[in-house]
Amino acid sequence: MAIDQRKVAVFAGAFVLRLVLVFLFPSLPDLLTGRVEVSTPVNSFKRLQEGLFLYTRNVSPYDGGVFHQAPLLLPLFALLPDVTQYPLPTALFFFGVDLVNAYALSTISDSGQSVKSRLHSAMRKHIRWDGASVAAWFLFNPFTIATCLARSTSVFTTSGILFAVSNAVEGNSINAMLAIGFASYLSLYPALLFVPVLLLCYDFHAEKSKQSLNTTVFVLQHTAIFLGSLTGLLAISCLITGNFWEFMSATYGFHLLVPDLTPNVGLWWYFFIEMFDSFRAFFLGVFWLHLASYAGGLTFRLRRQPLFIVSSLLGVFAIFKPYPSISDASLYLALLPLYRHLFPLMRYTFFAISALLYSSLLGPAFYHLWIYAGSGNANFFYAITLVWSLGLSILLADFLFAGLRDEWEQDHPEAQGKEVKQV
Amino acid sequence: MSATQGDVKSLQAQDAPDAPKSVKRAPPPETSQAIYTRFKVIAAFWAVIIFLGFPIWWKTTSIYRAHLPIQDMLEWANGKTCRPVFPLEIHLMTPTMQLPESQHLLRTTQHALDDLNEFAAHHLRLKLVNDSSALNVEQREKASGTDAEEADIALTVRVLSQDDLPAPRSYLHAETTQLDIFYPPNQAPIPSSSNPPLSVFIAQELQQLYWEEKATIAHVLSGETGNLDSISPQLAESISRRFRRSMKYADTYHLSFSLFTPGSAPSSWDIEAAVQEYLAPLLNEFASISNFTIDTQVQLYASFSPMAPSPVFEETEAAWTLQKEDLSAFINAAEWPLNPSIGSGPTLNFILYVPSPSQSPLVVKENHASSWIVPQWGGVFLLNPPLSSDSTNPSHLSKDSLRPAFMTFSHQLLTLLGTPTTPSSLPLRLQALVRVRAASLLLSASSTMGSLARLTESLPSIPIPATVASSVSDTLSHLSAACTHMKHGRFSAALANARIAEIEAERSFFEKSMVGQVYFPDEHKIAVYLPLLGPIGVPLIVGLMKELKRIVATLKARRANAA
Repeated sequence: MAIDQRKVAVFAGAFVLRLVLVFLFPSLPDLLTGRVEVSTPVNSFKRLQEGLFLYTRNVSPYDGGVFHQAPLLLPLFALLPDVTQYPLPTALFFFGVDLVNAYALSTISDSGQSVKSRLHSAMRKHIRWDGASVAAWFLFNPFTIATCLARSTSVFTTSGILFAVSNAVEGNSINAMLAIGFASYLSLYPALLFVPVLLLCYDFHAEKSKQSLNTTVFVLQHTAIFLGSLTGLLAISCLITGNFWEFMSATYGFHLLVPDLTPNVGLWWYFFIEMFDSFRAFFLGVFWLHLASYAGGLTFRLRRQPLFIVSSLLGVFAIFKPYPSISDASLYLALLPLYRHLFPLMRYTFFAISALLYSSLLGPAFYHLWIYAGSGNANFFYAITLVWSLGLSILLADFLFAGLRDEWEQDHPEAQGKEVKQV
Repeated sequence: MSATQGDVKSLQAQDAPDAPKSVKRAPPPETSQAIYTRFKVIAAFWAVIIFLGFPIWWKTTSIYRAHLPIQDMLEWANGKTCRPVFPLEIHLMTPTMQLPESQHLLRTTQHALDDLNEFAAHHLRLKLVNDSSALNVEQREKASGTDAEEADIALTVRVLSQDDLPAPRSYLHAETTQLDIFYPPNQAPIPSSSNPPLSVFIAQELQQLYWEEKATIAHVLSGETGNLDSISPQLAESISRRFRRSMKYADTYHLSFSLFTPGSAPSSWDIEAAVQEYLAPLLNEFASISNFTIDTQVQLYASFSPMAPSPVFEETEAAWTLQKEDLSAFINAAEWPLNPSIGSGPTLNFILYVPSPSQSPLVVKENHASSWIVPQWGGVFLLNPPLSSDSTNPSHLSKDSLRPAFMTFSHQLLTLLGTPTTPSSLPLRLQALVRVRAASLLLSASSTMGSLARLTESLPSIPIPATVASSVSDTLSHLSAACTHMKHGRFSAALANARIAEIEAERSFFEKSMVGQVYFPDEHKIAVYLPLLGPIGVPLIVGLMKELKRIVATLKARRANAA
C-alpha cells in the first residue's frame, strides 16, 4: 500500500501546515477574511457570521442586507462553537473540508478519466501524476491555503463540484446529480456544469452496460434527480428562513443582479460602476449570457472528453463569474494536473504563470495604495485584476489548445509530434 | 476571447522545421464529423444569442413612452384653452334707499365702472342685496365659501345716507371686506339722472380699491404693465419692486425665527406664545394660499462678521447707529447658523437682534428705523430692551416685549409673500393675493406643460413613465377646473386647484427617471455597445458567415451533382 502511505503523508502534511500557520500567525485567518481577493460578498466568512448572529437570535438572516449565502449554511455553522472565542473548531472544520476536497480530486485522478474516456484516449498516457501528487498540488497551492484559512464558504461549492465529478467518474450517477444540485444550490453558476457532468455519467454507464442505453430515459432520470435535489434543498431552506421570496432575492437575486460592487478579482465590479444606469440591466444580461454561452459551445466541441469540459468551464467561471475570488482560480488550477499529459503541448505556460504571479503579488500592493494609502485610485486595482484575468485566459486558451491538439492527434496519428499551424 | 472558441480551429500539419518552408502542403481534408461538430458549436452560440440575448436586449433597452396629450398641453401653454378672467362680485347694500332708487344706483354705478375699466379680464360686477344686516352678510360670506356654486363675495358696499355732509365720503373697514359709503341725503340718486354724482363717486372708489390689483394681474398675465396706459410709472415701479422682493411662490414656506445676541443675555424668549398670539392668526388667513412650518433658535455670543463696519455712536441721537448701506453686511452669514433651506420649501428667516448693553440702543442711522427687509430672504428686527439696573440685558424676553418685533415680522412676511400694499383692509389684500397667485400658478403650470410637451417631442429617446402621464392628466384636469372656477368668480377654489396643478406639473417635469436620460443622444449608444459587444461579436459573426458560406457551397455542389 505504498500509494496510500504517500497519500496519508500528503494529507497529514497539508493538515499540519495549516495548523502551524494558524498557531504561528493567529491573526492570519482574520486578515485573510478581510481581503477582497479572497472574500467576496457571496462567500465571505464575516458576512456569514452576521447572518449567523441574526439567525441565532431568530431574526431573518437577510434582514441586514449583508448576508447573501445559502440558508443551509446557517444551521451547520450554528452547531460550531462561537468563532470569536474558539476559532480552532471552525478552522479544523475548514481544514477537513479541504482534505475531503483533495480526496475527491485524488479519486478523479485515480479513475484515469482524464486520459482515457469512452470516446477518447490521450496520446501521451504515460505522462501522468498519481492521485497523491494531484492532491498535494491542490493542498499546497497557496491560493487553496489562503481560501481555507479565510474560511471562505466557496469551499463548499468546490466540494459540491468535485464530488459531483468524482462520483460521476466512478459511476455513482445519482450521487453525482445530488452533488451538482448541492453546488448549484450554494452558488447558482455550477448549474451550468450539469450537462458535462451528465455526459460523464452517461459515458460511464454506456461503457459498462452490455446493451445500449436508452438515452432519453437516462437524461430524464438524471435531470429529475438534479431538479429534485435542488427542490429539496430549496424547500429545506424555505423551512429555515420562513420567507421564500426574501431568501431567493437575497441569494440568487444577488448573484444575478450584482448589486454589491465591492472590488474583487473579477471583471464585473468596475464595469458596472462605470455603466450608465439605464444600460445596467442590459449588460447584466450580456455578462450572464456570455458566461453561459460557453457551456453549449464547449460541450459540443469537446464532447469526447467530458471531464475536460468541466475543467475548461471552471476556468471560464474563474474569469467571468460575477463574484470570483482566488478560490475559483484554485479550483481550476487543481484540475490542471489531471492533464499532466497535455503539459508538453502547451505553449504559453511561462507567460501565463508570470502574469498570475505578477498580479497576485502586485494586486494586494495596488489595493493598499488605493484604499489605505490613498495615493492610487480604483484603476490601479482594476488594471491588476485585468492582468489576473488575462493570465487565467491565456492559461485557459492554451489548455484548450493543448486538449484540441491531443484530440486531433488521435484522429491523425501520423502527425504526432509535428509542428502544427492553426488555419 | 476568440482563443477559447474551439470552433474555428482546425489544425494543419507542417513538416519539421528543417524541411524547406516553400513546400506548401494542403491541410488534410476535414472529416464530415468535424464539420458537423463545428456547425453544432456555432449553432450553440447563436442559439444563446438569438433565444436569450435578443429578448433580453429588447426587454432591457426598450423605452416606455406613455401617451401624453401633447396637443392639449401645448394649447394650455399658448393660452388658447383658458384666458384667465377675474369677475369680482361686489354686493351693494342700500339700507336707506328705496328699491327703484337702489336699482338705478346699481345700474348707473355699473355703467360708470365699465366706463372706467380698461382691463377687460378684471371687471367688477355689482349685485344688489336686499337683506341689509351686516351680520347676515358675514354669515352669507362664510356660507358661500363652502358652497361651490356661488361666487366669492369680493366686497360688500354699504351705501348709507348721513346728514350734514358736504360731499360723499367712504370708509373701508380694516378687518372685514366692507366699504361704507356715506352720502348727503340731497345727493340721493334721482331715477331720471343718467349720471348721478354718487354713482360716479362709488365707481371711482371701487376703481381706486382695485387699482393695484389690476396692475399686478396685468403684470402677471403679460409680463409687463405696458398694456395698461393709465398706470402711473410709480405704480408700475412699485409693482415690479414688490415682485423683486417677494419670494417665488411655494406650496410650503419654512419660517425660521432666530434670536441673536452678542452676549449671554437674553438667553430665552417667549417665542411659542408670541408666535401663537401674533402670527398664528395671519398664518391661518394664509392657509388657502400656502402652508407654513416654523422653527426657532436662540444663538448667544453671535458676533458681527469681521468685515462688517461696526456701529458708530451718535452723540446727538444718544444711540449707536448703522449706516444704511452697511445693512447688507449686518448678517454674519459665515458664522450665524442660518440654514438656506430646511425641508422641502424655501426658508424665510426672521432675525431678532438684541445688541449688547454697551451698544444699546442700536438703530439705523438715516431714519432711526429698527428693522429692515432682506429681499427674498427674510427680515431683521433690532430689539433694544430696557436695560436693568446693572446695565445688562434682561435674561428673558416676555411675550409683550416681543410684540413690536412680531408686528414688524408680520408686516415683513406679508411683503415677502408678495401681498399688495393697497388697499388698507387686510382681507382685501389677501383676496387680491389669492387672485394673483391663482393666475400666476395657472400660467406657470400651463407653461410647464408646454415645456414638457416640447421636451418629449424634441427628445424621442427619453422614457415617459406612467406616473408622468397620470401627473399630466391630473394637471390638465385641475387646470381646467381652476379656469372654470375663475370664470365664475370662485377664486379660493381656483387657487386650490391651481396649487394641485402646479405640484403635479412640477412632479411630471422633474421626474427622475426621465431627466436622467435627457442628455443621452443615440450616437452615444454606439460607445456603450461597441467596446464590449464588438470584440465578442466579431468572431461570432465571422464564424457564422463562414458556416453559411460552407452550407451554400455544399448546397450548390449537391445541385450541380444532381444536374
